[in-house]
Amino acid sequence: MDNQQKIKTIEQAKSLHWLNTVRHFFVYLFLSVGAFVSLVPFAWMIATSLKSLAETMTSQFLPKQLMWENYVIAWERALFSKYLLNSFSITLITLAGSLTFSILAAYAFARIKFPGRDLIFGLLLSTMMIPAMVNIIPNFLTVTWLGRIGPIPWINNWPALTVPFMGSVFNIFLLRQFFAQVPDELYDATLIDGGGHFRFLLQVVLPLSKAPLMVITVLTFMGSWNALAWPILVTNTPDWRPISVGLMNFVSEAGQEFQLTMAGAFITIIPVLIIYFFTQKQFTESIARSGLKG
Amino acid sequence: MGISEGIKSVFTPRRLRNLRESLTGYLFIAPAVLLIFLFGIFPVGFALYVSLHRWRIKRTDYIGLANYTRAVGNLTYVLLFFIALGALVAVYFLFRKIIKKARENGEKPWLLILPGVVHASVFGALLRYLWFQLPTFLAIGDKIIGQEKTRELFNQLLSEAFQEVKPQFNLFFWLLLASVVLGTAFIYLVRTPRNSFYQSQFMLVWLSLAAGIGLAYYTYSQVLAAYAAAMETNTDPGIWPQVITISAGLFLLGIAWVLWEGASKESSNLHFWGRILGAMFLLVGGWLLIGEIPQIVALGDEDIWLGLKVTVFFSLGTVPFQLSISMFLSILLFQKLKGSEFFRMVFFLPYVTPFIASAAVFRQLFSNRETGPINMVLQRLGLEPQAWLFESKGVFEIMAAGQGWDWPAWAAGPSLALVVIIIHSIWTYVGYDTVIYLAGLGNISTELYEAAEIDGANAWDSFRYITFPLLSPTTYFLSLIAIIGTFKAFATIWIFRESLALGTVDTFSVAIFTEFFEKLRYGYASAMAFVLFAIILFLTYINNRTQGSKVFYG
Repeated sequence: MDNQQKIKTIEQAKSLHWLNTVRHFFVYLFLSVGAFVSLVPFAWMIATSLKSLAETMTSQFLPKQLMWENYVIAWERALFSKYLLNSFSITLITLAGSLTFSILAAYAFARIKFPGRDLIFGLLLSTMMIPAMVNIIPNFLTVTWLGRIGPIPWINNWPALTVPFMGSVFNIFLLRQFFAQVPDELYDATLIDGGGHFRFLLQVVLPLSKAPLMVITVLTFMGSWNALAWPILVTNTPDWRPISVGLMNFVSEAGQEFQLTMAGAFITIIPVLIIYFFTQKQFTESIARSGLKG
Repeated sequence: MGISEGIKSVFTPRRLRNLRESLTGYLFIAPAVLLIFLFGIFPVGFALYVSLHRWRIKRTDYIGLANYTRAVGNLTYVLLFFIALGALVAVYFLFRKIIKKARENGEKPWLLILPGVVHASVFGALLRYLWFQLPTFLAIGDKIIGQEKTRELFNQLLSEAFQEVKPQFNLFFWLLLASVVLGTAFIYLVRTPRNSFYQSQFMLVWLSLAAGIGLAYYTYSQVLAAYAAAMETNTDPGIWPQVITISAGLFLLGIAWVLWEGASKESSNLHFWGRILGAMFLLVGGWLLIGEIPQIVALGDEDIWLGLKVTVFFSLGTVPFQLSISMFLSILLFQKLKGSEFFRMVFFLPYVTPFIASAAVFRQLFSNRETGPINMVLQRLGLEPQAWLFESKGVFEIMAAGQGWDWPAWAAGPSLALVVIIIHSIWTYVGYDTVIYLAGLGNISTELYEAAEIDGANAWDSFRYITFPLLSPTTYFLSLIAIIGTFKAFATIWIFRESLALGTVDTFSVAIFTEFFEKLRYGYASAMAFVLFAIILFLTYINNRTQGSKVFYG
């Protein structure tokens, strides 16, 4: 009796083990299908970017001979060096301004008491509801106006592309959540050492908030690489035109030369991918956390 | 001696410290708040100003609601009356809140109505001042062209512009002063610890009262103007009957909803069915009356309705697929098998890829050539190659034609070009949604699953009764983001637009942008943008309401 039961449980365990293997097989199968679908466009892009023009007309997937010169041609024809440099400059200027202003504001909203604090913060949060299309026309008028009266032009120049994005409600919101979690005891310690808010912010709070700062950096990068409507409006010469508009123009101009547009697309993607791979783990986790709190 | 004592008593060390703390706070937030105000809040008012004018690059005439009626027809008046009504309803609720608070604490804050009125009028005066100041400031930009930009010239133009609106500014300034003085004085006059609460609440009451009455009056005068204009051409705009029927329809729907909600609380069967039946009748009646809306809006701009239709197709095509695929993938990933980190990274890759680049790739995957990759796959499967982004025919229409069926035009579905955009959108966002779902799954306690297993639940049961309901807050969040995202979608569609399928892929935002950027109708585009804003607010409101009753928060 006892033995029989043992055998039964062992059999059960065996069948469970067998079931598990089947289950794992299916899990991996579906995951692989998902991964395949995610990756196919990338594979196709890279493969096509190395084909010759004649090969892009055929249905073969892989190039017979790797045409690395496609990248050189695309690079030269579309001023990619200029556009990439522009996008990097735009991102860095935006980041410098937005990080400085957002850190200060987020710190004040999280740790300094002043009348009207919650009211102002609520007002700022409610602006996140406003669709960009409402603001785009007046902001275009404002920016044109500022360029006319100010010492430097704003259109076709860095101010129009960066200054409007330096005050970011989302960044303030994200940072505030992290800043509020820093224990009060640390602030008391700073006070005893004779420091104030500024020193506490620089020496204690910021070193503890590397994760959100990184997220903001990556998101700002992605934002500049994705921006289209606003740059189309405020740039009509290549001087400050970002890579997004550059690539769009190149795609419509090189239209049927698939190998060149794909090379251009890959050139555009590389910087963002590099940044993503370096920050991948913390980035996805912070997205998950900030997303859930919505 | 006496004075210094007095000063000392006002500026105690604690108060000084608090003052310094507050000043630091304001200083810290000043740059960000200033920028957000200039490029985030002020533009809303500015856009409203633009939308009330005929404005093509330059501002010309003030034309009232004409841009709005051109966009959505007479629905404009109906909606504005409802917004005005909403403001008046808000007055009632605000007032009730104040009375409740006052009763609870046995206070009599009614004297504070006076400073409340003054505070509220400050806002009115500010708006009035800005209404006059804005064009004079804008004119500076035009006056300065062709002249040498110097500080003196600018200062001179600025002071000229300011002089023009001196009376309006003075009114605002004196009212502001009065509001500060009265506000402070009444803190000492009416002694309650909730003084500032009452003052701000009374201010809100007066603000929404003024807004409601003002808006209703403005809309009324605009309707009269429309009638007067119609008299000249001997036509009947028929606005009043429309306003009345639609209001009656909405009213019936409201009562139907109340009856329906109350039905479940009825204990007797008769009452229950009576309520349900009544609700049904009212529902049908309400819908019949609301059925007027399509006729009204038929007079509006066709592009807007096309844009709305495309956007709805876009939402229906992306959101359900995106959410179900990502929920499925996240449950698979959550098993924490070997390599799940790798898969998560791969799924997330499309989201971080710049849209413009991935859209360029999809344009060629779905190339209209016969040797295009997707067309190759179709041919392998024995199907016809398609023109994809160049195809303006509906997807169901094409499928039916493939079978040799006749297909009604109204059921044609999204154009094949839009289907490509939908697929690209799903491909992009599945990874993002999966990551958020994974976080949601992490918040579900494993004890629930263990308990369910002991009770004999199989895998499907635990999904149906634990995972799915407990993920509902995440699902609601993601669906809201995704639906609003389709209304805001611009960049990808702009790249996918091809001349042949044009119009069948233009979502609302794209329609606004073309109106602004290509046709240079700033005023009209602003009016359209406000229609978009209204839709987004409405969706968010509906989502919040349903979320309250349907979502299960563990």
